[in-house]
Amino acid sequence: MAPLLSAQGLQVRYGAVEAVRGVSFEIQQGEIVALLGANGAGKSSILKAIVGLVPTASGQVMFDGRDITGAAPEGLAPAGLTLSPEGRRVFGTLSVSDNLRMGAFGLTDKDEIAEAWERVYDLFPILKERKDQYAGTLSGGQQQMLAVGRALMSNPRLLLLDEPSLGLAPLVMDQIFELIAKLRDQGVTLLVVEQNVAKTLQVADRGYILVSGKIVEAGNTSELTQSSSMQDAYLGAN
Amino acid sequence: MELFLQQTANALALGGTYALLALGLAVVFSIMGLINFAHGELMTIAGYVLMYCGIASVPFVIAVPLAITASVLAAVAMERIAFRPVRSGSGATMLVTSFAVAMILQVLFQNLISARSQPVLLPALLSDSVRVFGLVIGVNKLAAIASTIVMLVFLDWFMKHQKTGVAMRAAAEDFAVARLMGIRANTVIAGAFALSGLLAGVAAVLWVSQRASVDPLMGFMPVLKAFIAAILGGLGSLRGAVAGGFLLGFIEIYLAAFLPPEMQEFRDPIGLGIVVLVLLIRPNGLIPSATLKAEKV
Amino acid sequence: MKRFLTLTAIGALLAAPVMADTLRVGLATAQTGGLATYDSPVIDGVHIAVNEINAAGGIGGTTMIELIEKDVRSDAAQTSIAAQELVDAGVSVLVLPCDADPSLAAIGIVSSAQIPAISTCASSPTLPMIGGDYMFANFPGDNVQATVSAAWAREQGHDSTYIIYSPDSQYTTMPLYFAEVFEKSGGTVLGQDTHSIGQQDFSAIATRIASLEDQPDVIMTSAYEPDFPSMLKALRAAGVTSQIIGSDGIDSPTTFSLGDAGEGVVFTTAGHALDGNPLADFNTKFEAATGNKSETVFNAVGYDLIKVVEAAVLVTEGSTDPQKIRDAIANLEGIQGATSTITYKGTNGMPVRQVALIQVKGGEREYLGSPSPDAAMIPAPRMQ
Repeated sequence: MAPLLSAQGLQVRYGAVEAVRGVSFEIQQGEIVALLGANGAGKSSILKAIVGLVPTASGQVMFDGRDITGAAPEGLAPAGLTLSPEGRRVFGTLSVSDNLRMGAFGLTDKDEIAEAWERVYDLFPILKERKDQYAGTLSGGQQQMLAVGRALMSNPRLLLLDEPSLGLAPLVMDQIFELIAKLRDQGVTLLVVEQNVAKTLQVADRGYILVSGKIVEAGNTSELTQSSSMQDAYLGAN
Repeated sequence: MELFLQQTANALALGGTYALLALGLAVVFSIMGLINFAHGELMTIAGYVLMYCGIASVPFVIAVPLAITASVLAAVAMERIAFRPVRSGSGATMLVTSFAVAMILQVLFQNLISARSQPVLLPALLSDSVRVFGLVIGVNKLAAIASTIVMLVFLDWFMKHQKTGVAMRAAAEDFAVARLMGIRANTVIAGAFALSGLLAGVAAVLWVSQRASVDPLMGFMPVLKAFIAAILGGLGSLRGAVAGGFLLGFIEIYLAAFLPPEMQEFRDPIGLGIVVLVLLIRPNGLIPSATLKAEKV
Repeated sequence: MKRFLTLTAIGALLAAPVMADTLRVGLATAQTGGLATYDSPVIDGVHIAVNEINAAGGIGGTTMIELIEKDVRSDAAQTSIAAQELVDAGVSVLVLPCDADPSLAAIGIVSSAQIPAISTCASSPTLPMIGGDYMFANFPGDNVQATVSAAWAREQGHDSTYIIYSPDSQYTTMPLYFAEVFEKSGGTVLGQDTHSIGQQDFSAIATRIASLEDQPDVIMTSAYEPDFPSMLKALRAAGVTSQIIGSDGIDSPTTFSLGDAGEGVVFTTAGHALDGNPLADFNTKFEAATGNKSETVFNAVGYDLIKVVEAAVLVTEGSTDPQKIRDAIANLEGIQGATSTITYKGTNGMPVRQVALIQVKGGEREYLGSPSPDAAMIPAPRMQ
């Protein structure tokens, strides 16, 4: 079966700095794939390049059989690809429900929109309770739920999660990983970038380990858990 | 007391006009970080439409929507022709572009229409005045206050309840994430320009109904006032623009009204001094924008 | 404008006799920017006069006029640059912008090059005082206009006045001259207000005047467009019914299109067209040459300017020596222009010209006359 998303020789540069040096990977329909690596290894840059927030220096990204290399970000959500960005970045001056409404901006089918509302409020009852509140007044965990909920509003087939547990209290963090598991059960394909390696490997199917912008190891989670590159990756060795 | 109330009515009318002008600048700035100094030329365009309608004996009630429409179309065209190509440029590039657009339009007006100011025929009713609660208020003042209220209510509704309006607020806060949601940058920016054109058009009708003439350079003064009001209120903040506009109107009118005669000559510097003082106390303006980071796309 | 330029150039090429001298006149005037409103119609009038003279074989049938034009963009610094370029191009006469301030910016160049300079329409009597021997004005002085309008107001039985002036320019301080004459002739000045040029809103001032216990018989201002209509409408809307007196700056179509608010406004200006008088003749010429009706007396003022130059070159018997032309201009007497007769003899460069009084009646121009001012009443130029 053709992968839902595949990257070939993806390269990202910031001026003279080469953040991502020709990585190739793929994600099959229904999988949870983790991108692991130390800070600055290039994980977030890969996600941003996929959705067009940073330009791709070279390489190719295919989504659902379509070349989306360098595509404008606004075209991807309607096509079924959404990123929940690092740092949550909810619209603080908009109400919770307006944030969710913006998540469904690209949808036109009324039934589909109604379903998306139901699903998100089902997953996050707290968002329904607080729907008229400004998003900026929510707690960190609630904002993260809102960020994921907002991304889910477009009914994505592939959801990219960038550091969903960053800066959250341990209890809340657990909720986020429960949520990831729940999403998998609902059939959402996920690409997760996380610094909480242990927890991520518990929920993911497969993973890639990045060091200095290159993939040094790939495999299913049980293989990776025992891998020596894992320690190296986080100790910054090469 | 009656004199004070009378002057307050004057201040409300002037402040309302300034608020509309400042809002026009703020709508665009909040989305793309550009102070559009060609905003005044949108007013000039609306003014010339009023003038030509007067010559062609088009009734004023039809001339006004025509003028406002022209300003909206001109704003959208301005974005498409001048600003879209430099959108990825630096803030300075866009600022210089807006000056260039303003100057090019001024020279076109001077050469294609007239360097001299042209009379605009207005209905006599606008020069009349009415008594409201014992105050004598000019009809054009009442019109200014009423249009300001209508525009503010409309804008509030649009920004809060219309999908495009909410998207514009979202884009103003975080353009990159808004695009991730599928909100099209072109749509939002064109929408912001259209809104600014609408505000410029309404302000132009109020402005021209006082001065009864249009000239190629008439846009300079209002855009200057709008700029001061927008800074005073907090750049990029729509509520701030309204607050800044009203405060500027009140400062100008109260100084002109109550400063002792021997100090009237220094009215403008004193007024700007007050503005500076406010900014010293509140460096980001009266109601600062929630996100001063106005990201570009 | 370009059409004129080409016509002039072609005219000069075709008609120039080999032996004839060419008089070079340099125009350093505002074709763009704020002053273009005044300079550009004056220059239209200049072109009409130059074309007429050249078509007849030049001044005295021998001296063709060649215009060299520079746009100073209403900017003082640009005016002095343009003036220098024109001096370098060998002009015998310089024409400077309508406002005293940019004209004065070129004074250093004018005096050191010893070339006569004429401002298109600046009316501040201080211009030739500061400008020296080589600076000439081409318009009735502010103090003369104010004397004529104050005398008219007193004759009408108006006893009290209130003035609104702007310290921003020489011209907009004309109401101070008016107040001086008005008091000297027994009237009372109830008060004064200032505004800034380009001020949009006059409601505060209007409300203050409306609340005065003694309403002034006359309100005098030399504000011009766009300030004047705003001021007038604000005064009327506030319920002020005083006679409004203005100056030549409001001699524009807008003033006649203000409806009831404009009714009865009186102002002084450079002239008035009556059947068969020189201004009416000029207006006919203007329409024939441009296809448009002359909208402003400033067209005729431009014609006057070239008539003055022509008269001076006739005195020098065709000599284009700037020094001789300057001396000739300074001694001209009774030259018939389009708006008035013009005399420089006995003045310091501010010409003696008639001042016409106009009243707005039913949206039309009503001529109240061109009274000669009482010389004893004319205030001395006020240096700022």
